[in-house]
Amino acid sequence: MATDYWFSKLCYDLQRPGAGAEYRADREKVLARYPLSPEVLAAIRADDVAALQPLVNAYLLRFYFGAAGMSDDTFMAKLHAMQKLPAAKEQAHG
Amino acid sequence: MAEFVGAFAASHAPLIARDWDKFAPESREIITTDFHELGRRIAAARPDVLIELSADHWTNFFLDNLPNICIGIGASHDGPPEPFMNNFPRSIAGDTAFAQHIAKVALDDEFEPSISHHLALDHGFCIPLMKMELPKLPRIVPIVVNNLEPPTPSIRRCFAWGKLLAKAIASYPENIRVAILASGGLSHSIGEPTMGAIDEAFDRDCIAAFKAGAEGPLTKLLDERMEAAGNGTHEVRNWVIAHAAAGSRGFDLIDYRAMPEVYVGCGWASWNA
Repeated sequence: MATDYWFSKLCYDLQRPGAGAEYRADREKVLARYPLSPEVLAAIRADDVAALQPLVNAYLLRFYFGAAGMSDDTFMAKLHAMQKLPAAKEQAHG
Repeated sequence: MAEFVGAFAASHAPLIARDWDKFAPESREIITTDFHELGRRIAAARPDVLIELSADHWTNFFLDNLPNICIGIGASHDGPPEPFMNNFPRSIAGDTAFAQHIAKVALDDEFEPSISHHLALDHGFCIPLMKMELPKLPRIVPIVVNNLEPPTPSIRRCFAWGKLLAKAIASYPENIRVAILASGGLSHSIGEPTMGAIDEAFDRDCIAAFKAGAEGPLTKLLDERMEAAGNGTHEVRNWVIAHAAAGSRGFDLIDYRAMPEVYVGCGWASWNA
């Protein structure tokens, strides 16, 4: 699946000092700065790891969910659940 | 003339810094002992300059501008931006003249590196520097290798880069001692459905191929199996560059440990120059 530039940009920008705290405090305010598609916005709002994983570099994805406040354990459990999905094999190293 | 005094390699999991206090004492002991042995070997080589190879973990570069190879030519580099690395120096000395020489030798040989006058060195560069606890940090010439975002450099090209670095060192007219440190690898998977998996069989075969030395079998192994061993495994490219710079011989494994605590198959090694 193709890289989603604006979701990638959001992930990247959240590395700035203070950006993660701002995002956790008011997610919608930050999201409004990016021209994200309705599908991507819905996946972000649902913390849908499986939907977002194919759209962004895997390192940025990890950073994003850390900045969004998800624990490593929860993030990994959601990733591991993807291996049971039909499309997991082809997404595994994308 | 400059002298090539050794090549070295180490893994660089960020959790080594972030979660240090959560590790079992025996894990801290292993990591400390192995980084100290690596540091002892580097200190014994007495480098004035350390060429360090690492991925950039989305610190300096984004999709807007993503070099496959970038040489840091700054007189100094910023320390790691990660909050869990705050106790590492905020400024790290570089070597502008030598770094520019590497870039010129590369361009004269039909390589096209990008250059940066001002890099921030993230945990990829700084975990080994921090954990080795060298008595004095050599000047660092950082080379960012794109191990993270396709398209990435071929293994064949990494061999060529290693040979080019050896040539650049040998042709530098100043009387300095130069070492190479490859940071990253071995197998790990980050942000993928296989996150946390360590492919110990791949790592052992990889180590055996470095020990055997020959370019062909090592290239074949990595071309065929590196991708399946996890996205972080791509950092083995940096080891290949160091290996080739050392003439594809003299590999000496300090230690290998599959360490689930840090999600990485951790390796420490050196090559005789």
